[in-house]
Amino acid sequence: MDIYYHLSSDFTAILITLKLAIVTCFFLALIGTPLAYFLTFKSKKTKPFIETIVTLPLVLPPTVIGFYLIIIFSPETALGKIFIILTGEQLIFSFYGLVLASIIYSLPFWVQPLQASFEKIGRDTIRTSYSLGANPLDTFFNVIIPLSKKGFFTSFIISFAHTLGEFGIVLMVGGGIHGKTKVIAISIYDHVEQLSFGKAHILAGGMLILSFIILLILFYFNKKTVVRVK
Amino acid sequence: MSNLSVTLNGKIGNLFLNFEHHFKNDGITILYGPNGSGKTTIISALGGFINNLETRILFNGSEIHDIDKYPPNKRPFGIMFQNPILFEHLTVEENLDFVLKRNQLNTQNKSLISKEYLINQLELNSLLKRSPENLSGGEKLRVVLARTILKHPNYLFLDEPMSDLDIKYKAKLLVFLKDFNKKFKIPILYITHSIEEISQIGDQIVLIKDGKKIDSGSVSNILNRSSFVDLTGKFESSSILEGIVSRHDKNLHITTLDLNGQKLVVPGLPGKLNDILRVRIRSRDILLSSSRLKTQITENELQGLISSIEIEKNSAFSELVIVLKNFKNNKKKQKLRARITTYNLKNKKLLIDDTVFIYVSSVSIDRQAYQSK
Repeated sequence: MDIYYHLSSDFTAILITLKLAIVTCFFLALIGTPLAYFLTFKSKKTKPFIETIVTLPLVLPPTVIGFYLIIIFSPETALGKIFIILTGEQLIFSFYGLVLASIIYSLPFWVQPLQASFEKIGRDTIRTSYSLGANPLDTFFNVIIPLSKKGFFTSFIISFAHTLGEFGIVLMVGGGIHGKTKVIAISIYDHVEQLSFGKAHILAGGMLILSFIILLILFYFNKKTVVRVK
Repeated sequence: MSNLSVTLNGKIGNLFLNFEHHFKNDGITILYGPNGSGKTTIISALGGFINNLETRILFNGSEIHDIDKYPPNKRPFGIMFQNPILFEHLTVEENLDFVLKRNQLNTQNKSLISKEYLINQLELNSLLKRSPENLSGGEKLRVVLARTILKHPNYLFLDEPMSDLDIKYKAKLLVFLKDFNKKFKIPILYITHSIEEISQIGDQIVLIKDGKKIDSGSVSNILNRSSFVDLTGKFESSSILEGIVSRHDKNLHITTLDLNGQKLVVPGLPGKLNDILRVRIRSRDILLSSSRLKTQITENELQGLISSIEIEKNSAFSELVIVLKNFKNNKKKQKLRARITTYNLKNKKLLIDDTVFIYVSSVSIDRQAYQSK
């Protein structure tokens, strides 16, 4: 972590932001993908309940989630204690605290596009694969995943972009500690507060362009797929 | 000979299933019944896709209904679902290879159905490198059929496979299925609504209604029974007759069949000499007369005895069952159903045990060429 102090403060924030987005997407792939599969094909009675929980971060103010996460991550709770035993660090105000918060906050952005994609593939495709001799795991990796490339792509892009843009929740859970939990969004806020509009312009403009490009890539490729289907 | 016995009990959706049947032949068995009678459910249960029914499946001596022990991917069946699906991330050829890669062990004790044989028979050569999303409905269906067969299943289930096909290709595919069944002795369970398809490829037929088996037996028997007519409605009522090909007239393009000494002329040149040919005659296409007509109104004149008369209530029509005269004195009796107006029946004073002359135009004969033996 110490090397960050030698780099300019804004560059450090950029690195942390990108690292957070990548690590978050990695864990979302591991957690969100089976969840989307479960919601599409396995759950029946529990589906509305689980869907509600997954979607909650979309409607709740980030401060509400942030508030509860501060309580859950505090060193007094079981989770907080386990984390201290494992890493010697507090979960709250740590990078991994940020990652956990981002996973929860971006979960609907990973699950929903993928769930839509799985639903489009449908039960009949899975039945067909089974009837041809493929077991469920084989079917998942060799039929469902290749068929939902577009869904994965959308999930990744949207979750990535969404994590880049987080503010409220990362401020509350991470505390905006320089070199550790301070992301671009918080840096911009700090610059504006200190009236350094020039620095704010560079970061804000950079975010605007980056987000624009990311979304453009998404819509460009999704449009292309639609055309090809016709 | 393969031996498949199925018992299904329970409620699924609005349907109460109470079905039991022992499929015991290597031919093609038709599963016939109205929509929502449980046909697709039976195939799904056989495939291991339904777990909320009380199911018992005995296949060649072993119980295979336990879904934990015999999950769908371990069942020895080939299933073609009602909406056939190709994997769109694979080319046509890769779709065929998908099943080959996963079923190498299954092929050891059986005569190998080669990929090339199916590519030839089903005319898939030009499709192999293509992506499934660009295939027409008929092309897709052929690929799915080839892929299902390549599994080398011990039993093939086809759920209304021809419903989206144009007539010309349908005839070809039916011939393929019949030949395939004979060649490889893989029994087929075939769901269809089409009486044409039944009379063309069916050996056995099981009638089902509201989740229950109503009747079962050989196609030529069942199609002449009232249980079948009850399902199809009187308008579609028809009879299946079997005759031996006695003459092909290549100039006029007609074939003469011998029905125990009586002659029946059918259009086209189906079968070979001495083949047994099956034809379907719709009851509404038959004209009856108590005496021989002086002018030949059609090439086909048959003689028979009226064995039953049913005057339909609140309807203009009556249905007669006529036993065709047997001039060869063998034991085989063939029956014909005729549907005429009750007005006509009364006018001609037709009674049970009367001899009647039957007139059928060749045009209305469903010439489903089929050699049964």
